[in-house]
Amino acid sequence: MNKIKRSGLYDKGTMWVILLACLSIAISMLLTGSLSYNITKKAVIEKLKTKDLFFIVQSAAGRIDGRMARAKETSLIMARDPFLNEWVSKGESDLETKKLALEKLNRIATEYDYSNTFLASVNSHTYWTEGDVVGKLSETNPQDQWFFETIQSRTPISVNIDYNKERDNTFVFVNALMGDLEKPLGVTGVGLDLNDISKEFTSYKFGEIGTVWLVDRFGKIHLAANLEDRGRQLRDLLPSDICAMVLSSDTQSVDQQQIIEYTSSDGELIDLVHQTLQSTDWQLVLQVPRKETIGFLTSIMTNTIITALLALLLITFVFYLVSTRIANPLKRAIRLSEELERKVNERTQELKEQNIKIMDSIDYAKKLQETIIASDQEMLDAFKNSFVLWQPKDIVGGDFYWLRKMNNKVILAVADCTGHGVPGALMTMAVAPILNHIVQEGYHSSPGEIIKELNLRIKSAMQKEGTRITDDGLDIGICLIEGDTLKFAGAKIDLYQKKQEGVLRIQGDRHSIGYLKSDPNQTFKNTILEITKDDYFYITTDGFIDQNGGPKNHSFGRKRFISLIEESSNLNSQEQRNFFNQSLINFCQEEPQRDDITVLGFQV
Amino acid sequence: MDNLFLEATKATPLINFDADKRIIFIKGQSYPENAFKFYDPVFNWIDTYLAANPSEIRIDVRLSYVNTSSSKCIMMLLENFEKAFERGVNIQLKWYCDMENESEVECAEEFKEDVTFPFEIIPELEKDH
Repeated sequence: MNKIKRSGLYDKGTMWVILLACLSIAISMLLTGSLSYNITKKAVIEKLKTKDLFFIVQSAAGRIDGRMARAKETSLIMARDPFLNEWVSKGESDLETKKLALEKLNRIATEYDYSNTFLASVNSHTYWTEGDVVGKLSETNPQDQWFFETIQSRTPISVNIDYNKERDNTFVFVNALMGDLEKPLGVTGVGLDLNDISKEFTSYKFGEIGTVWLVDRFGKIHLAANLEDRGRQLRDLLPSDICAMVLSSDTQSVDQQQIIEYTSSDGELIDLVHQTLQSTDWQLVLQVPRKETIGFLTSIMTNTIITALLALLLITFVFYLVSTRIANPLKRAIRLSEELERKVNERTQELKEQNIKIMDSIDYAKKLQETIIASDQEMLDAFKNSFVLWQPKDIVGGDFYWLRKMNNKVILAVADCTGHGVPGALMTMAVAPILNHIVQEGYHSSPGEIIKELNLRIKSAMQKEGTRITDDGLDIGICLIEGDTLKFAGAKIDLYQKKQEGVLRIQGDRHSIGYLKSDPNQTFKNTILEITKDDYFYITTDGFIDQNGGPKNHSFGRKRFISLIEESSNLNSQEQRNFFNQSLINFCQEEPQRDDITVLGFQV
Repeated sequence: MDNLFLEATKATPLINFDADKRIIFIKGQSYPENAFKFYDPVFNWIDTYLAANPSEIRIDVRLSYVNTSSSKCIMMLLENFEKAFERGVNIQLKWYCDMENESEVECAEEFKEDVTFPFEIIPELEKDH
């Protein structure tokens, strides 16, 4: 269960990582993109307004102005020409002069790139052109109004646009007064073909949709890049307020460009720039839809978005690849370790159960071992005061102490069988009954003899021929107390007698019993002691003395043991037990118990 | 013959037997649960070594604690050396002790009592041999 959930969780983790990565990349791209877009757009619009439109309009206006200026100059020169003046003042009658005059008109037209030249006389109301006489000007003809107005105007030079019926074309005429401004002789000048100028207009168009118009003071469009617009009114093509703004520019703002931004009736944002020409009071109007200007940005944006999406896709793919490369082995490793963990838990559980069984059986074995140990009651019955410190190393052990009270005698035995734990305990269970029998059969006056007999019987009970595998035996110390006498014999176990004057050590013989090499003829010496009142006796197996600990990890030692006996003079039995126990605990600290511990103290 | 090298553990000593370099070295503490099991390869090696009849044998021992079953095994080893000594092999054993450790010294002395070949008890401080 856990395994499945974990791998699912991990997959989700991968997905989250990828998602997060994509999201952050997408957001940053979006941010960068939109920022760049907006900055660029603003900059482009700014440039458009402050530079591009200006330059275009300026350039266009400049060219037109240039053309006009040139035309005005030529017209003025013609008006001031003394030869023409003389011809007109003399009534245009002289044929010779007329020929020359017409030649002049012709030359100017052809050589100076004007569509036509003209001369109109005030006196005769004749209208001459570079060809010949064209006609007479009549006051009633509306088409000839220009003449009469020009005469009246008293301005040396003026411009008007006129549709010339004869030539079936619209021309820009530059009229210059001849002679005295108050009383002019006539009007002369040049005409510009609007078509020529209009060809140039198309080159000024801004893109496909922008428009260029040349309008007069009243809003009539005389020239346009889009030929259909010619002749229309500006107010038809622009919103009225914008149109008003364009046409209201007063003469003081000549040569000043105005930029206007408005929304057309279709909802499009349009930038408009207009400029009054220097040479006339006409306006040059250039207009371009905003989207024309920033159209390129849209394409950039689209491309960028596509690129970003592709990049995102690629990154997602790469992330996925990488994470599976890492995740898959990782996942497998995790699964493997989970599987192992499960197995380990299983085994541990099995071992736990086995261990419990074993410990249970040892716990029961302890109860069995306790049957051979002298009970508290027996100790109380045998001695005035006594204490026992009996601590097998592993629940059961190879040490035991045994007591028999008979008639007026007390026989106490303290034994240390080979080994500890279960093997040691089995030995004790074998030795104790043999000891019982020996004493029962009558060996109850000499501890030395008991030990000798025990040696023989153990050897015969336990010996197999010559194998090294189990060669076991025991150390033992036996006290026989009768009245005021204590007889002691020992096989590698000593007795300590604490008298008032000090501690006396009675050593046992230096031979263990029961082993292969234990001599069957070995005798054990009896030591007879007089017991004085208040004497306290101590027997210990080697467990206590050999316990290691302390700073140098040495054994507790006999010397220290004897000093414990000396220091316990004023303590009662229970206190003595605690004293010995605590002293050992303090000594060994962290060190584990090395061997079975048995310390007996008694007072007769 | 092959060397016998056993790393020391908490309850068993370091065994370093090298026939070519003529090293017989035991150091540490000896209180395994099953002493015979531990000393079996030791016995075998010594037996083989003695069977090859070396002219002289030098043994270095440093055992700070020997439990009852282990001391039986040590005793057996010493008996084998004793037999070789009686055959004429030149045997010398040095047993290093921390003289402040009562039991260690007594243990060495007890072993010394049972052999006749040269057995020296040498004071050694608590540092590596």
